[in-house]
Amino acid sequence: MAERPEDLNLPNAVVTRIIKDAIPEGVNISKEARLAISKAASVFVLYATSCANNLALKGKRKTISATDVINSMEDMEFDQFVEPLKQVLEEYRKEQKSKKDAASERKKKVKEEEKTAADSDEEGQGEAMEEDAGGEEDTPVGSVVTISDDDN
Amino acid sequence: MSESKDKNSLPLSRVRTIMKSSPDVAAISQEALYLTGKATELFIQNLAMISLETNESKNSVDYKDLAEVVNSEDVLQFLQDIIPRKIKYSEYLSIKQKEEDES
Repeated sequence: MAERPEDLNLPNAVVTRIIKDAIPEGVNISKEARLAISKAASVFVLYATSCANNLALKGKRKTISATDVINSMEDMEFDQFVEPLKQVLEEYRKEQKSKKDAASERKKKVKEEEKTAADSDEEGQGEAMEEDAGGEEDTPVGSVVTISDDDN
Repeated sequence: MSESKDKNSLPLSRVRTIMKSSPDVAAISQEALYLTGKATELFIQNLAMISLETNESKNSVDYKDLAEVVNSEDVLQFLQDIIPRKIKYSEYLSIKQKEEDES
């Protein structure tokens, strides 16, 4: 992995958008402040990673888990992030599950289509053309005129 | 592919690079990566908001507002080195002078 120093920064455009969404419209944020927040966010990632990794190591696990990240917020005293992150995780899991389901559903469908295609080849073409034998129906000729006196 | 779907989401590939730059990190689960990205977004919003509240006129966010919150909130102590308060050179000199006097 080629690591350039700028790879350790978060993209300023995205950071700026997140900031602009958070603060009320019309509030100006100086470039210097934006850069500082961006840097702070990178440091936050490192700090959170280190805390979460410590929790994983304590649990004798090599891989940082979602729970490690959530619990690391408490260690960092960002307790107010715990609940939102739990919700985010739940949504993320649902999304992943429905993606998975959709994928397996698609696979199933393809299989079924292949099967029905094979089946329809076996079916005989027994559809006879129905002839229109000219069963003439009486259509009423002449109209019925209703006269109403109501208007008077 | 799904990473760029939400324009306000931090790119997870970049978040992963930063996480992996920590030497003692062995592996990161996909969920942990996603949550770290989201936590960072919350952090950015939070930092912007409290800096705005610190601002005198409450209609802009400047570096000095950030430096003020970072250096007054204990929770943000980890940022003190990268967002220091700005001081005038003359102030720096007088601090240095004081330090020398004390030692």
